[in-house]
Amino acid sequence: MRTPLVLAMAAAMLGCGRTGERIRTLELPGTSPLVSFRIVFLTGAASDPEGKQGLAHLTAAMLAQGGTRGRSYQQILDEMFPMATAVRFQVDKEMTTFSAVTHVDNLERFYGLLREMLLEPGWREEDLKRLREQTINFLRVSLRGNNEEELAKEVLYNEIYRGHPYGHHNAGAVAALERITRDDLQRFYAEQYTQSRLILGVAGGYPKDFPARLKRDFARLAAGTPAPRERPAPAKVEGVQVRLIEKETRSVAYSIGFPITVKRGDPDYLPLLLMQAYFGPHRTSGGRLFRRMRTERGLNYGDYVYIEYFPRGMFQFEPDPNLARPQQIFQIWIRPVEPATAHFALRLALWELDKLIREGIPPEEFEQARRYLAKYVNLLLKTKDAELGYAIDSLYYGTPDYLSYVRDGINKLTLDEVNAAIRRHLRTRDLYIVGVTARASELADRLASEAPSPMRYNAPKPPELLREDKEVERFRLGIDRANIRIVPVEQVFEQ
Amino acid sequence: MLALGAVMAPAAGAAEKAFPYTYDQYDLANGLRLIAVPTDFPNVVSVYIVVHAGSRNEVEPGKSGFAHFFEHMMFRGTKRYPKERYEAVLRDAGAASNAYTTDDRTVYHTTFSKEDLETILEMEADRFQNLEYSVEDFRTEALAVLGEYNKNAASPMVKLHEVLRATAFDRHTYKHTTMGFLEDIKDMPNQYAYSRQFFDRYYRPEYTTIIVVGDVEPKAVRALVEKHWGGWKRGSYEVRIPAEPPQTAPRSAHVDWHSPTLPWVWVAFKGAAYSDIEKDQVTLDLISFLGFSETSPLYKKLVLEEQSVDLLGASNPDRVDPYLFTVMARVKKAEDVERIRDEILATFRSFRDQPVDAARLEAVKSHLRYAFALGLDNSAAIAATLAEYVGLRRTPETINRVFELYRQITPEDVQAVARKYFVDSGRTIVTLSARGAK
Repeated sequence: MRTPLVLAMAAAMLGCGRTGERIRTLELPGTSPLVSFRIVFLTGAASDPEGKQGLAHLTAAMLAQGGTRGRSYQQILDEMFPMATAVRFQVDKEMTTFSAVTHVDNLERFYGLLREMLLEPGWREEDLKRLREQTINFLRVSLRGNNEEELAKEVLYNEIYRGHPYGHHNAGAVAALERITRDDLQRFYAEQYTQSRLILGVAGGYPKDFPARLKRDFARLAAGTPAPRERPAPAKVEGVQVRLIEKETRSVAYSIGFPITVKRGDPDYLPLLLMQAYFGPHRTSGGRLFRRMRTERGLNYGDYVYIEYFPRGMFQFEPDPNLARPQQIFQIWIRPVEPATAHFALRLALWELDKLIREGIPPEEFEQARRYLAKYVNLLLKTKDAELGYAIDSLYYGTPDYLSYVRDGINKLTLDEVNAAIRRHLRTRDLYIVGVTARASELADRLASEAPSPMRYNAPKPPELLREDKEVERFRLGIDRANIRIVPVEQVFEQ
Repeated sequence: MLALGAVMAPAAGAAEKAFPYTYDQYDLANGLRLIAVPTDFPNVVSVYIVVHAGSRNEVEPGKSGFAHFFEHMMFRGTKRYPKERYEAVLRDAGAASNAYTTDDRTVYHTTFSKEDLETILEMEADRFQNLEYSVEDFRTEALAVLGEYNKNAASPMVKLHEVLRATAFDRHTYKHTTMGFLEDIKDMPNQYAYSRQFFDRYYRPEYTTIIVVGDVEPKAVRALVEKHWGGWKRGSYEVRIPAEPPQTAPRSAHVDWHSPTLPWVWVAFKGAAYSDIEKDQVTLDLISFLGFSETSPLYKKLVLEEQSVDLLGASNPDRVDPYLFTVMARVKKAEDVERIRDEILATFRSFRDQPVDAARLEAVKSHLRYAFALGLDNSAAIAATLAEYVGLRRTPETINRVFELYRQITPEDVQAVARKYFVDSGRTIVTLSARGAK
């Protein structure tokens, strides 16, 4: 059952007692036999010290996948196994989240372990060695070696935020990970895992007095200081900057983007959310870009746009909550295209973006996007765990509960307001294009040449589409050869 | 841990049924089956339509990957609901809609708000009965399938899976993956006529089960399904899947990977078919956890103590016909691959040589019971879980039966099943390493 967030917020206020008065709590009681935990510390990769990129990630990993003072990791696994539960962790720039779902039968036993893991970490050398290698293998093998799409997305973020606290992957960089010591971890934990930065979230069929106990237990953390709420603006993007990651692969994966100054709660957030619902909602076939690129032209498997960070998109349909940030980027994800159509596909995506900015959303499509979004938000919040995650994000952004925020907000929007927001924030110049490709210098030369890139189809196409192609094949990308950098894949995430 | 496909979940407690919801199972005169499950999750309804045909049904040579391709074509529209209108209705409903294909089934799923139930059921009924697409659309969609192949091609696990099947099977259609062989995918644009035949054979009521879960009233669902699906004509096609001849000797294969990656070793044995009566498959499931999960001695040794392996897991998915029990290890150093392979083989042998500890067996049963319960946390998840089982036995009752089987398994059963399946003649080993690394 869904609990109105207003009540939960009230509960949070009442929860401010004598112990742990800095700790914020979010409670969503219910009748389910499951209990969800979301324990969020307002710290993350943006707090990694220079030269120690990955410290936030490794610290969280040591808590969630390492031993405690009293128990080895193996003992924890043995205890968790019959309950079929585990503590998951997620480190983003500003938030570190520990989450778990347990059956109420096992609440006592599970919570005993969870409390020990988060409050009495063991900092064992063998855990550090294993988790450091696991993280390095994630960056080098899973991401860089075996997943071109996520690679392009993450490199896009690193490029946009170069020289900024957000300028490295959340899991860190290989050389820095190799330098991190147990002292670093303990210091980071002591400084960052504090009451002032803690949000305790619990949902489901827990006993009435459980949240108070949770809060008492976590009150043993140091008081600490509040997390920073602002970050410097990223450097201005000059021209069309292209980064081609050279790799042996049979296709070309792209991510395109630039920073935007809009976050949840800002006046232009909902207009841009509507834009996203029209132009390229994640993994659905109803978006404009998907229709034009895949359905009509068969260029690839899908094409989508984002106004908030959405990692692991190729593995899931809904975004994970608790990735809240004070600043975001606009991003286009183009799934792998055949090398022969790589130039045309890029042009088509930017041509469509250009058209969106110039002409706006057509009125009938605007109404449809609004109807879609108003109902679709229901599905985002279909589990208690997701509801809890979104409630925590609402607390961070200072917005009403997500459901009413979106539904009420989009009902008041006009098409003109949305189109104006699109013009204010979107652009086809001063952006980054990241491609993962073989024979990168050939693609670089083609992109910079601005030579026509005619499409050839395996079936007859309607004349209007072919006419449009004539325009697209000559669409100027505005890429200066000097702004194309070719990066051997072995260098990515190393420093 | 690995994304291990479907290491099967369940195992019910003695008192309660593993599938805790009451359901309404109803057969229409044309052979279509409806399973409706009311839940107390508000507002949301999930419709899963299971077609009991997947890549296992691709019996003709050159047609691998066709069931999956056809899944794509199902989104190309009808006269009444051309693609654009179909999309518009889904968008108006704020629906999350998609589909997937496996060896044994193709599943179309839509999750939406309850007031749109009739709209969705009507529109789905229309495309299942009146699908129509042009040769041009067909040829274009074939390229999207190639795009899907391309996006998967970066993963060594996808390749290993392809090679494992091709090596382990001789005649059964499990020899190819659901995605299909690349050469068949490239030829898909030329198979329009075959696609119509495929539709005519399998998109029939006797091959289909509709699952409706959520904020619904079963009687009303029955009436809607009768109204929109009652007139669907039964077909007559019966597929003959070639039987796999017994394997007579161990097999192996190696994949030379084109770019830097860590080596993998996969050790597989011919396994059992899904059954809610015979003990073999559920026992193999239990062994997959006893031998290779995070709490197994092998995991403790290789991943936690030596730290020579960073990913270890087993997969024993449920299939209509006998499939494979596979252990997968990603090895940190190339020189360790053979030793790790031998460690895995020794673990298999240990199950043959002595009975397992009864307390550990009970811990695995408890794990499966809670893992199953934790998975049922919303209507879409319940429908998705049901689709897996319904794809095998066409009824939710199979879940309760299979859990009851888990409960009965003894250490002696484990040893007997290990002796039957973990034999050299049933073994296939596939390794992968970066070119030049081995």
